Amino acid sequence: MKKVKKFFQYDNIGLLFAFPAFLYMLVFVGYPIISNIILSFQDVTMKNLVRGEKHFIWLQNYAELVRDSVFKKAFFNTLLFTVCCLAIQFVIGFALAVFFNKDFKVAKPVRGLLMMPWMIPITITALIFKFIFATDVGILNYILKSIGIISKNVEWLTQPDTAMAALICANVWIGIPFNMILISTGLTTIPKELYESASIDGANKLQTFIKITLPMLRSTIESVLILGFIYTFKVYDLVYVMTSGGPVNSTHMLSTYSYKLSFEMFQYSKGSAVANALLVVLLIVGSFYIRTTTKGEET
Amino acid sequence: MKEEKRKINKQNIIYSILAIILLCVLLFPLFWILVTSLKTEQEIFQIPPTFYPHVLNTKSYAAQIATGDFNMFQSFGNSLIIALGAMVIAVTLAVPASYAMARYQFKGKKLMLLGFLVTQMLPVSVLLTPMFIMFKHMHVYNTWYSAILADATIGIPFSVLILKNYFASIPRELEEAAYVDGCNRFTAFIRVLIPIAKSGVVVCAIFSFLYAWGDLAYGMTFILDQQKRPMTAGIFNFMGQYGTKWSYLTAFAVVSIIPVALIFIFMQKYIISGMTSGAVKG
Amino acid sequence: MKLKRLTACITAAVITAGIMAGCGNSQSAESTTKAENTTKTESTTKAEESNKTEAANKEADNGNQEAEKVTIWYYWETEGHQVALDKVITDYNGQQSNYEVTAKYVPFADFKKQLSIGASASELPDMVIIDSPDHASYASMGIFADLTGKFDVNQYYEGAVNSCTIDGALYGVPFGVNCLSLYYNADMLEAAGCTPPTTWDETLETAKKLTKDNVTGLAFCCLQNEEGTFNFTPWLWSTGATSYEMGSEGGIKALTFLKNMVESGAMSKECINWTQGDVMNQFISGNAAMMVNGPWQIPTMQSEAPDLNWGVTLIPKDAEYASVLGGENYAVIADGNEAGALSFLEYATAEEQVKFMMNSFGYISADQSIAENQFEADSPYLPFVEQLKYAQPRGPLADWPSVSDAISLAFNKAMTGTATPEEAAAEAQTTIDGIVK
Repeated sequence: MKKVKKFFQYDNIGLLFAFPAFLYMLVFVGYPIISNIILSFQDVTMKNLVRGEKHFIWLQNYAELVRDSVFKKAFFNTLLFTVCCLAIQFVIGFALAVFFNKDFKVAKPVRGLLMMPWMIPITITALIFKFIFATDVGILNYILKSIGIISKNVEWLTQPDTAMAALICANVWIGIPFNMILISTGLTTIPKELYESASIDGANKLQTFIKITLPMLRSTIESVLILGFIYTFKVYDLVYVMTSGGPVNSTHMLSTYSYKLSFEMFQYSKGSAVANALLVVLLIVGSFYIRTTTKGEET
Repeated sequence: MKEEKRKINKQNIIYSILAIILLCVLLFPLFWILVTSLKTEQEIFQIPPTFYPHVLNTKSYAAQIATGDFNMFQSFGNSLIIALGAMVIAVTLAVPASYAMARYQFKGKKLMLLGFLVTQMLPVSVLLTPMFIMFKHMHVYNTWYSAILADATIGIPFSVLILKNYFASIPRELEEAAYVDGCNRFTAFIRVLIPIAKSGVVVCAIFSFLYAWGDLAYGMTFILDQQKRPMTAGIFNFMGQYGTKWSYLTAFAVVSIIPVALIFIFMQKYIISGMTSGAVKG
Repeated sequence: MKLKRLTACITAAVITAGIMAGCGNSQSAESTTKAENTTKTESTTKAEESNKTEAANKEADNGNQEAEKVTIWYYWETEGHQVALDKVITDYNGQQSNYEVTAKYVPFADFKKQLSIGASASELPDMVIIDSPDHASYASMGIFADLTGKFDVNQYYEGAVNSCTIDGALYGVPFGVNCLSLYYNADMLEAAGCTPPTTWDETLETAKKLTKDNVTGLAFCCLQNEEGTFNFTPWLWSTGATSYEMGSEGGIKALTFLKNMVESGAMSKECINWTQGDVMNQFISGNAAMMVNGPWQIPTMQSEAPDLNWGVTLIPKDAEYASVLGGENYAVIADGNEAGALSFLEYATAEEQVKFMMNSFGYISADQSIAENQFEADSPYLPFVEQLKYAQPRGPLADWPSVSDAISLAFNKAMTGTATPEEAAAEAQTTIDGIVK
C-alpha cells in the first residue's frame, strides 16, 4: 500500500505525460506570442514592413492607446460583451443541460440537434443574424410587430445600444450548445447514488441541486467559464461581419480594432499592442482561475 | 404502480413537447437560412419579409456544384482531412496531458496549466503572420499540414482543460486496484482510465473536429491553392468586393451543413453513448 | 472493440513517444526559425538573396527547357471574371513558351491581410491585380517594381494613371476603370411625376416625393470603411472641396446634405450597414427609388430583375459634377519575375484582350482610345463613360486608409446624429491634418 501511495506523490511521470502537448503549444503559439510582443514595442507600419529600419519605441504604442478614445471604448465594450454573453449563455446552457439530462424520449436526439449551430461557419451565422436584425427587411422586427410588442421598427444595428444587444444575442446563440454539452457531460460524472441517498434523507430538488449538483460540477463549471471567457473575449468574426465595429465605432472590440489597425490601416505595431492589451486581461483572469482550481486540488 | 407509470408517461410527453418547442426556437436562424436560400434575391429584400418562398428558387443550389475553380466535393474532402488531422493531433496530445494535470503533482504544473490557457488568448489575426513565417520555414506552407497544425492549437488547450475534470472525477481506488492487479502506469492509463473517461474524450474529439471544420482564417491564409482549400473557403464565392449574394451564400451554408450533419447522424449512436456514458458506474 | 481501443491507445503512446524523442530536435528547429527570422529583420536583402538562390535552384532543377513560372494574385470571386481571366492566361501560355502564368484567387476581404503577411514573410507572387485606392499604400511598402519607361500609359485616363503614380514614378498599370453614377427607377419617377434630379435641392425634393410606404427615395452605401468613403467622395468633391478639406465649408455642406436626407426619411439610416451589393438589392426589390452605384452591377441587375425599368444619369451636383474613380490596377512585384510579368502585361493590355475582358467584366477600359468605342449607342454602360469625365481617383496617398477612415467616421457620425455636421467635419479635419502634414 505504501508503494501505491508513493506512486501519486511528486512524480516526474506526470511531466512526461503532459510535456508533448505543452511543447506543441509552445512551438506553434509561443513563438507568435513572443514575436507579437516584440512587434508591439516597435514602430512597424507599411513603410518599414519590408524595407527600412524598425525602431524600438518601447511603450510609445501603448501610451498612444491610452489616449485613444476608440481603444478605451473597445476595451470597455469587450468587457461588457464578455460578461453579458457569459452570464446569459451559461444560465441557459445549464438549464438546458439539466432539462435534457432527464430521461424522456426525444432528449438525446434533440440535444444532438442543438449542436447544429456549431456546424455553420461563424461568418455565415453573423450574416444571417445581421439579416434577421435588419430594420425594414428583418424578420425579427416583423415578428415583434405582428405580435404587438413594438409598433415601429427598431433600428437594431444602427444604434449603439441595440447593436450591442444584437451582437450579444448572436454570440449567445453560438455559446449555448457549447455550455450545454459540456455541462451535460459533466452531469454524467455525478454518481447516481448521491442523489438516491439525498432523496432518502428527504432533501428537496433545490437542496440537492445546491448541495450535490453544484459542488460536484465545480471543476467543470470553472473550466467552462474560463474557456467561455477566453473565446468570448477574443470574439472577432461575428462582430466584424455584423457591425464591423459600427455604428460610429460603438461596437468595436479589442480584436476587431486590432485587426483594423493591422490589416486595414497598416499600423502593424499598434495593432499588436491592442492584441497584447487583450492578452494581459486574459492573463489576469487566467491566473485567477489557476489559483482557485489548484487550491481546491491541494486540500 | 400502474398509476405511477402513467404519471411518468404523461411527464414524458410534456417534456418531449417542451423539448421540441425549445428546438424550434433555438434553431430558428437555421430555418431562416434554409428559407432564404430558396428565395430569389428580390424576394429576400421584400418588405415585409415573407415566411416562406413565394417563388421557389433553386438556382442558387445548382450554382454550388461548380463555381469558378472552386470544387465543392474536393473542398469537402480537404475539410475532412484537415478536421480529422487536427482532431487526431489534439486528442492524442491532450489525453495524456490532461491525465497528468489531474493526477500528478510535478514541478511547473501550474505554469504549464497557465501556458495552456495563455496560448489560446491571442486573437487569430495576430497569430497569422508569425505562423505563416514558421510554416514557410517548415515547408508546409500551402499544404493541408499547415492548416492541420494550426487548427490543432485550438483543440489542445480546450481538450486539456475539459478532460482534466474527467480524470479528476475518477476515484483513485480504481487505479490502485489496477496497480495491484499488476498494471504499470501506462497500461493502467490505457486500459482503465481512458475507457472510463470515454465521454470526455468523445466530447473533446467532437469539439476539436468542429473547431477545425469551421475554421476559415487559417485555411485561407496558409493555403493558397484553391484545390487544397477547405470547404469554408466557398463562402468567398458569394461574398466579394461588390457585396453578398444572399441566396447563394445561404444555399452554400445549407449544403455545407449536410455532410457534417450526416456524419453526426450516422455516428450518433457512438457519439451520444460516448457523451452520456457515466464516468463512474456504481 | 477492446482490441481496437487498445491499438488506438498504443498508437497514441507510440506517437507520444516519438514526439518526446523528437523534442530536442523540434526545439532546436524552433531556435533556428527564430535565428533565421532575426537575420531577416536585420538585413532583408540577405533573405531576399537566399530566396532568389532558392528560386534559381528550383529553376535549375526544372531544367532550362521549361517555362519560368509567373504567379498572379487577384480577388474577383465572380465566375465570369475568373473564366475571362483564365482564358486570357491560357491563350498567353499557349502562344509563347518562355513563361507559364498561373493566377491564384485571394478573397477581397483577405487581400490586404494576405499581402501584408506575404510581404513580411517574403512570399509574394510576381504580379497582383489590386483595388486602385490601395495602390499607393502597397507601393510605399516597397514591394512594387518601378515601371517608369517600361510601359506606355499615354492613352490611359489620367485619373487612372494617377492612382498608380507615386512621386512621378509609375508603379502599376490600370486594368479597367469604373465610377459611380445615379440609377433611377423610371417607373417610380414617372408615377411621382418627377424627372431625374440634377442638383442637390432637386435630389432632396425628388427623394422626398418618392418616399412612401416601404420605398425610400435614395440609397447608397455609407459603410464606415473604404467602400463608404468611395460613395461619399462624389458628394464631397462636388462642393469643390478635396478629400483633405473635410473641415471646409464644402465638407460641412456635404455632411449636412446627408444628414438632411436621413432625417427627412428620404434615405434609410440603414445605408450605414449596406454594402453596394445590398444597395443594389434594395433597388431591384423596389425598396429604393434611386441609388448611387457602379456599372459592375448591371449584369446582375439584368439577370435578377429583367423587368425593372431603370436608367442611369450623372450624380446630382452642388457646384460641379463629380464622381469617383474605381477599378483595379496591375502591379508587378519587385524582386519577382519582372520580365515575365511585363511580358504578360504587354499581352493582356493589347486591344483584343482588353475588349474581351472589359466586356465580360462589365468594366470600362482604362485605355481611353478603346473605351470611347467600346459600347453600342444604346448601351446602359454609356452614361458611365460620360460620368468618367468627371471622375477623380482617391489619394493617391500611402496613408489613404487613415484619411479614408477619418472621412467615413465623419459621415457616419453626421448620419446617426452622434455629432453635428460641423463637429464631425472639424474632428475629421484634425485627424487628416495629423496624417497629411
